[in-house]
Amino acid sequence: MSARSANALRLEIEHALERSFPAALTPAQRTIRETASTGIAKVDALLEGGLPVGAISEINGPASSGRTTLVLSFLAQRTASGQVCAWVDADDAFDPESAAANGVNLRQLLWVRCRKAGGPTQSKQAAKPWTRLDQALRATDLLLQAGGFAAIVLDLGDTAAEYTRRIPLATWFRFRQAADRARTSLVVVAQAGAAQASPVQSSNAQSSAALALHCAVVSPVIAGGTVLRGFHYEVRNQRQRFTPFAVGRNKPPVSVWPAASAWDTTGNFANAETSATGEVLVMEQSA
Amino acid sequence: MSQGLYACVHAAEFPSQALLRLRPDLQSLPVAVLEGRAPLEQVCSMNRNARQLGAATGMTRLEAEALAGQSGGLRLLPRSLEGEAAARAVLLECAASFSPRIEDGSKDAAGDARKAAGTGTAWALVLDIAGTERLFGPPRALAERLRNALKAAGFRASIAVSANFHTARMLAASSRGITVIPSGEQALALASLPVALLAIPDSHAETLALWGIRTLGELAALPEVDLIARLGQEASTWRKLAMGAHTHAFQPIEAAFSLREFCEFETPVEQMDSLLFVGARMIDSLALRAATHAMSLASVTVDLELEGKRAHRLVLRPALPSVDRKFLLKLLQLEIAAKPPPAAVLALALSAEAGQSSKVQLGLFAPQTPEPSRLDVTIARLKAIAGEDRVGSPLLEDTHRAGSFRMANFAAENPPDEEQEGPPRMALRRLRPPLAVRVALNAGQPALFYDGRQSYKVSTSFGPWRSSGCWWSIDGWDSDEWDVLAESEGAPVACVLVMDRGKHQWRLEAFYD
Repeated sequence: MSARSANALRLEIEHALERSFPAALTPAQRTIRETASTGIAKVDALLEGGLPVGAISEINGPASSGRTTLVLSFLAQRTASGQVCAWVDADDAFDPESAAANGVNLRQLLWVRCRKAGGPTQSKQAAKPWTRLDQALRATDLLLQAGGFAAIVLDLGDTAAEYTRRIPLATWFRFRQAADRARTSLVVVAQAGAAQASPVQSSNAQSSAALALHCAVVSPVIAGGTVLRGFHYEVRNQRQRFTPFAVGRNKPPVSVWPAASAWDTTGNFANAETSATGEVLVMEQSA
Repeated sequence: MSQGLYACVHAAEFPSQALLRLRPDLQSLPVAVLEGRAPLEQVCSMNRNARQLGAATGMTRLEAEALAGQSGGLRLLPRSLEGEAAARAVLLECAASFSPRIEDGSKDAAGDARKAAGTGTAWALVLDIAGTERLFGPPRALAERLRNALKAAGFRASIAVSANFHTARMLAASSRGITVIPSGEQALALASLPVALLAIPDSHAETLALWGIRTLGELAALPEVDLIARLGQEASTWRKLAMGAHTHAFQPIEAAFSLREFCEFETPVEQMDSLLFVGARMIDSLALRAATHAMSLASVTVDLELEGKRAHRLVLRPALPSVDRKFLLKLLQLEIAAKPPPAAVLALALSAEAGQSSKVQLGLFAPQTPEPSRLDVTIARLKAIAGEDRVGSPLLEDTHRAGSFRMANFAAENPPDEEQEGPPRMALRRLRPPLAVRVALNAGQPALFYDGRQSYKVSTSFGPWRSSGCWWSIDGWDSDEWDVLAESEGAPVACVLVMDRGKHQWRLEAFYD
């Protein structure tokens, strides 16, 4: 019997099993998705490059968990490269000063401030005014359809989770398709359940989200006991559609990153814990 | 010296044409135009359908209404001088694309506005088309192209081409369609026309009638010396006119380039669809006129005259000048939807500013940005959803007041790339308006606060940071700020508490996030 190469043997086995298991011994090709940097090295390392382009990323967490800072840092990178972004603000909570402090080029940012009772109320068909959430969803839809935006942030950060959970899955599916077509990063900032919940339970967009992150605060950084100098935040990667977690890993990967106050220009904030004047207070985590 | 060549454009029943030009829904109906003060209005102009019904110039309103009652279809519209002025500008501009030398042909040989029967409400232009053969072909081809251009602009006009100015003018007034008179045959072409075209004073006209002179050919056949001896020196001019030999010093008029359209409605319009129907025709006309000058519409101002002598103004400003009819109409529709007129509309006027044509040079390596015209429509739709002043780019104001900004128009631009460095900065989420809270103090520092729904126990507070400004004006501020780390129902939060020193009120202004 003549010696056969491993490759020929593999082809023979695959051919035999073709009906039951197509390409049984050939490793599946991994799709490399385009990502955009968040501007925070530790978060980029966690996400293997940054937030996905042309997909939905969901950033969940309670108030004061660093969600907005993370998204502003991401937008700063996008606007710095000359691209335009949009911020759909369901609760009118966006702070332009914070955005400018983070380096966001405000001229490159379209800000849509939803109002308490909006919509075409003069129309007889729409006698009932639209809620903030309705306005935000419609505005996001329009912006995605218009195309050309590198990133669109749907900010539902102050909207109660029981309302955001009611957004139909068909809406998220449509957003996913439109974001994919327009090559737009749709970033959804929302409140969400506990970090320990399953990825599907803690996500609003569920299977439409390519990435689901959960944010939490770790500790504030205090200078001299009198001034709030910054925070350390934690990001937990709960779900990443295109780079699944390693089999057998129980806990999702976590990264801790710092955010400094706007006036702090010393540049050594990342090492604040070990500085002579720094003092770290640990805030209690929610259950 | 080369011989002159003139083309006369004669738009009969101009008042009715000016009104119906923008109203295609009325063009197939019999329409008569009334002028004068109520109740002494008289019919001054009408379209062909109305004439076939029996309408005539000079009918009183009562007679016209009686006719409308009998026929059941005659529409009576008030004359609109402003609309006619706008229509004249359009016609003049249309003619100017064929020749730069144009004279108002509504005047007789003596320079007075003609009062001849049947031509009182007409408007005529005479174009000097000598030397245009290489551009537009022979005179008949030019006349056909000119007639088609006028038809596209909504006018029906007869055109006559002749080597003599007055011959072209008189033939255009008395014929329909296109008439081209070969050089030297002016007298023959004019021979059958009535003497009334010469606008001869009544006393002399009677004399000619007594002599049995009814046509220009008969007048031209009279001996010149005997005619002058009986009727005076003016008779020489009339005879030359009748022979097609009267010379004319051409006095060209300047076609001022103004993009304006006006339409007056016979009844107040409340339906936006009706308004847009007319608006679409006006935008079409403006875009076409701008395009003939290789320009686009940079901005369109919409002036609505409302019931109760009120006015309502809307301004459309596309990011890039455009002549795209659908795009401009969509902008108009969204603008009217966002700012509906508070009362029924009596008249609609559109005036536009011309801008350079909307061509954008794209870069091979430039980042993708939204398409300008599509972005305009999207922003207009967003404004309809969220509100006029709630969509745009935030601009920080030059002040120390926390949270002050203003909204500016968003324009997608590609600035040069900038390197973004440095750690991320703590961001705030503002509460608009700030939430009034009740605060319990401990040694001058907040220890507990309540926002109406839940209470927060303060674990650490940093402050106060005093801030004040504009004390000389009504919007001055004077406040103490605290950065507060607190806890509510086991959830930690970091927020900004502010104490207004003037009003002695505590507010929750923002959360760190």
